[in-house]
Amino acid sequence: MKDFTDQHRLWFYRVLTLATTVVLVHIAAVWAVPRVIMQILMHGPIAQSMSMQNQAAFPPPVTAQSRTVVMPSPDLLYSVCVFDVTAGPVRITAQPNLKSYWSIALYAANSDNFFVINDQKSGDKPVDIWLVSPSGSPVERPIPTGAQVVVAPSKTGFLLMRVLTGNYESEKAVIEPARRTLVCKPA
Amino acid sequence: MAALVKSQQVRCKVLKMQRKHTVSRWQRIGIAFVLYGFAVLLGLGSAWWVLKKAPWMVQSVQVGAWKTNLLAGSPDADIYTRATIALNALLALGRDETMYFVAVQDDDGRPLRSHCSYRVEGAPPKAKWWSITAYADDMFLFDAPNKQYSLNGTTARLDANGRFAFTTGVQKQAGTHWLPTPGNRGLVLTLRLYNPEPDLQAAPASLNPPTIHVFGGCA
Repeated sequence: MKDFTDQHRLWFYRVLTLATTVVLVHIAAVWAVPRVIMQILMHGPIAQSMSMQNQAAFPPPVTAQSRTVVMPSPDLLYSVCVFDVTAGPVRITAQPNLKSYWSIALYAANSDNFFVINDQKSGDKPVDIWLVSPSGSPVERPIPTGAQVVVAPSKTGFLLMRVLTGNYESEKAVIEPARRTLVCKPA
Repeated sequence: MAALVKSQQVRCKVLKMQRKHTVSRWQRIGIAFVLYGFAVLLGLGSAWWVLKKAPWMVQSVQVGAWKTNLLAGSPDADIYTRATIALNALLALGRDETMYFVAVQDDDGRPLRSHCSYRVEGAPPKAKWWSITAYADDMFLFDAPNKQYSLNGTTARLDANGRFAFTTGVQKQAGTHWLPTPGNRGLVLTLRLYNPEPDLQAAPASLNPPTIHVFGGCA
């Protein structure tokens, strides 16, 4: 009778261990998906080729061949930067001066959109953001009056600037210089 | 003496039988390895299934044929919503900035297919700017020969009733704005609302949804 009971107990623990493994792997995979995708986006071969570590990059307009990020909008002109506040704050400035929609959105390493500023929120003022580390960043020089300090939830993350373009070819002369006012560099 | 030999022989026979019916240490390790491998695969497979094939797991609001996720891009998103958005709409904005409505079925509940022609019709939504884009089921743009991938607040021509209309499909339908969707695969329509009005942000179900109907059949 004792052997019978031990045998059942052994099988119970075996099945429990396997079931726990399934659940833990499932949760770990779901948790890891956005982080892995963001890592590939920020440090993958395409990011490396565009040199966008603490530096703004200006990809060409979206076409059917654009396959870096899912659901690219053909009506937007994108500008990008991978920020890293490990060594100190990153300063983001821009002055698009466009009447149509534009926005600068910041994403954490887990893909959360933690900050966004757009044409309506900024008004006519130039954008001046000082992005600092969640654990605090040493600021070697004073932050200018009017600049906005934003705490990044992760040390690295992604900046995406969107500029609306109904017809890129006809608007190119206006929107290309406007988006290239974006600067993203260590402060 | 003979009894002792016989006893040894019996013992050897019993040991041989035991060895025959018990699993060796290496066999046990092998079985455990296979079972744990299966458990890991089951964990990964169930995660993939939930994120790609079980949209009901993610909280959303449906209006007509269109669905929107209220927590897209938000730091308040749970791990399933965050992972689903990362897979299907990476770098989405929060709904106070942009609202995304996605349709994968027509108004009659039939899955959208690229080789079928659809007429999409509606009134401009309450937002600063809007667009409707046709994507293939891999969430990338179709290779449209005329480079037309979307209809938006700038390119839409409104009729006398203030409504827009366009068609999708393999062949152009006369007299309409046409978004080519070559091939025979799933079709995904995405409605983006930039700077949606506050009442729409607060109540996404109040959207007056564009209608989607088969128009001209399937190629």
